[in-house]
Amino acid sequence: MMGCAVARSRFSITRLPGFGLIAILTFVMLYLPIVILVAFSFNEGISQSRWEGFSLQWYQAAFNNSQVRDVSLRSLWLAVTAASFATILATLAALGTTRVGRFPGQTMIYALINQPLMVPEIVTGIALLIFVAAIKVQTGYTGMGYLVAAHTAFCIPFAYLPIRARLETLDHALEAAAADLYASPIQAFRYITLPLMVPGILAGFMLGFVISLDTVVITEFVKSAGQDTLPTYMLGQLRRSVTPEMNAIATLFLALSLMIVTAFFFITRTRGR
Amino acid sequence: MSQEIEITGLNKSFGQGAAAFHALRAIDLTIATGEFFTLLGPSGCGKTTLLRIIAGFEEPSTGVLRINGKDVTGLGPDKRPINTVFQSYALFPHMSVAQNIGFGLKMLGKPKSEIKATVAEMLQLVRMEAMADRLPSEISGGQQQRVALARALAPRPRVLLLDEPLSALDLKLRKEMQSELKRLQTETGITFVFVTHDQEEALTMSDRIAVMSAGEILQLGPPQEIYNAPVNRFVADFIGDTNFLRLRLRVKAVAAGEAVLELPGGKQASARLPASISPPVGSLVTAVIRPEQAEPTPAGQGEMQAVVASATFFGTDTHLHLLLDDAQGFVLRRQNRPDQPSPAPGTKLGLTFAPGALRVLED
Amino acid sequence: MRGHGWKWLLCTPALIVLLLAASGPLLIVAVYSFLSPGNMGGVVWDFSLEAWFRVFFRRDIFEPDQVELNTAHLQVFWRSVWLSLQTTFICAFLGFPTAWFIATRPRHTRTVWLFLITIPFWTNLLIRTFAIQEMIRNNGTINAVLLWTGVIDSPIQMMFTEFAVLLGMAYVFLPLMVLPLYAAMEKMDFSLVEAGYDLYASRLNVLWHVILPQVKPGFIAGSILVFIPAIGAYVTPRILGGGRTMMLGNLIALQFGQGRNWPLGAALALLMLVMVVGALIFYLRVVGRNDGVRRG
Repeated sequence: MMGCAVARSRFSITRLPGFGLIAILTFVMLYLPIVILVAFSFNEGISQSRWEGFSLQWYQAAFNNSQVRDVSLRSLWLAVTAASFATILATLAALGTTRVGRFPGQTMIYALINQPLMVPEIVTGIALLIFVAAIKVQTGYTGMGYLVAAHTAFCIPFAYLPIRARLETLDHALEAAAADLYASPIQAFRYITLPLMVPGILAGFMLGFVISLDTVVITEFVKSAGQDTLPTYMLGQLRRSVTPEMNAIATLFLALSLMIVTAFFFITRTRGR
Repeated sequence: MSQEIEITGLNKSFGQGAAAFHALRAIDLTIATGEFFTLLGPSGCGKTTLLRIIAGFEEPSTGVLRINGKDVTGLGPDKRPINTVFQSYALFPHMSVAQNIGFGLKMLGKPKSEIKATVAEMLQLVRMEAMADRLPSEISGGQQQRVALARALAPRPRVLLLDEPLSALDLKLRKEMQSELKRLQTETGITFVFVTHDQEEALTMSDRIAVMSAGEILQLGPPQEIYNAPVNRFVADFIGDTNFLRLRLRVKAVAAGEAVLELPGGKQASARLPASISPPVGSLVTAVIRPEQAEPTPAGQGEMQAVVASATFFGTDTHLHLLLDDAQGFVLRRQNRPDQPSPAPGTKLGLTFAPGALRVLED
Repeated sequence: MRGHGWKWLLCTPALIVLLLAASGPLLIVAVYSFLSPGNMGGVVWDFSLEAWFRVFFRRDIFEPDQVELNTAHLQVFWRSVWLSLQTTFICAFLGFPTAWFIATRPRHTRTVWLFLITIPFWTNLLIRTFAIQEMIRNNGTINAVLLWTGVIDSPIQMMFTEFAVLLGMAYVFLPLMVLPLYAAMEKMDFSLVEAGYDLYASRLNVLWHVILPQVKPGFIAGSILVFIPAIGAYVTPRILGGGRTMMLGNLIALQFGQGRNWPLGAALALLMLVMVVGALIFYLRVVGRNDGVRRG
């Protein structure tokens, strides 16, 4: 106990009074609403403020709700499709813009790639609404193509970031070494550059996937009738009074995001391999 | 000996017009088969650019490069019988040690059995058999160095290029790898072209050294010649420690390549005078003496008189900083012996030096 | 490999998609803001400055020449800016100690804390807003706790107030402040803090004269990262604020729904874009000036 007291009174250069307390409170405030949200998804009764016992009935209700099933599958399909396209396009763009020295038009390319990050989603959303409405009138096409294109464009900057970051850490000497060891440019790309880019590409895909899955505003303005995704479905439901079924859906959604974020975290942390 | 590498009239410049930077100027150079050849110079002197041109990573602006008599000037690095050990080693981080070593053979389309046998042989050569399946990130810096060597040697190149391969290692490991490199070169008989800025490394390992500065080769020759007979002030200054003295030329050409200089204090001494320069009699010239080639004598004796200004202890020897009669500085290196304490500041002593130690240099 | 053509070629597929589905439509928005509204949404291709006029003014219904300031719009603009500034301030107040706390943990636990900040950053904004809604509803967690403990007799109305919007935005945008602040602190030279204490500075002096100048770029980046999405917020004010505490984003959306004045919506959207670009330019200038000072 004495040792403890001595340790506590020792001068620490990193200590600032009150900071630790505010930080801990911030973490609590950050997680408390989510924890409560998750907890009441297991509530026996319909109340979201009074605990009435453990039950999985709201999960059952969610699984049996054909509309929830529909919108979830559509969301997953859209996220996989858009993230795949975005990853391929972002990989090509990263190869064209990273470690190649400055070239004319580079700034414009950067600006275009990052533009979806700068412009508020609501502005992109109504811009797409106007554009899509005009095309619909011209072509009569009302399929998922609009959503795929919109989500792909929106995911490109997110997929581009980790791919570019990964590529930047690659030493040019590695490709020089491959060429020195009789690899043709294509072989050097196939055996050295591409395998080393894989973590970045995977991370890019995951980011794109999560972003597409989260996108609500753009989807809301681009979708045609019957093209609700999970987020737009939830947005519509939140206006009414909600049951713990919504908590159950949100919890499952959270779990999926958490899994992907964890995987992303580990992939981007594993360096040098 | 046959000529392995032949470089004629090679120039390299980056950029164009007035802003162009001339990295290499008018390089003519031949390197013999089986030679341990070193390019030595400070950073920015063009030695790495020259190495990269030999490897094929850069193209010369003008000039011709022949390897074993064949013009390879336009060929890419993948088409030259040359391998490189990179300064950063550039080991492929996603491949095991064995895969790294076998990469060149795989790219050459060699059969699997042959690759396996050669990799085993190379692992043995660099004493890394136990590490075959490790990743580069799982072995030490010295071990990475060995793998880089084995990888470059595995395709049995005619020439091995080494770009400051020891600079990332600590002193002890560096000494060890120096003798290891020398052993590998003798065992394989491959021509080594070695780039370094470390003059001691160059002197101990090389058959011949090219001293470079500002894109030009200043002097080319065996280590002894470079050390004992530097052609100009830059070489003398860059290789080892040297005392530079401004002395008056009294007599020219007593015999071929000799002159008589007036020392501080008025005595005269003979000095070597390179045939390439011809200063007028009576003018001031730059002369050099290595610190270990002068010896102290009791005061009043010897060629020059000096006062001790300070002494710096270096373990094996002590550097005495002296002031000569005409106030020029002079460093004298004296081996330390327990029975000979270094003289206190203010002590007067004389200096003598062996014939041939004093040389006149081009400025 | 000499020319730049191959670099452009690699970028072309991405650029086509971006031009079609992100940047291109913005140009159409600009064009639409100068057209006349159609009867049932859409536009009539007649050039008109009416939309831009109506962003700030309104006409009397019976006497169109009677013009007055559109106070409803101005109120929404002001609320958007004011709530965004407040959100930024709250995030900075909570984010700075939090980032400091993470940056001063031992290396192995630091990763865990950082991860805890990153999770909400990547979880769905809608779900996090929903979680706040659950907390502050009339029959939500906070009111239930207060009623149960007897602090209040009837539930406090928190939903559909400016407070709800502010709380929600601070909650969802907080990680955007912590992450750049942390990045700046991680790069910080802690020996300077030691030097400060060594030269008799108090904790407050060290915070003010040593730490803050070093993490200033992180502060500015964090503020911009919070302010920009706050100005553009749509989901959070829609769920927590409702119709009475509308922000600019909701006003824009309204023009494409019941209001059905597309040119006005386009003009409002451009106005929002101008605000965001203004904030970004301000950021770049401040950062640029800081760099200049450091170099000078």
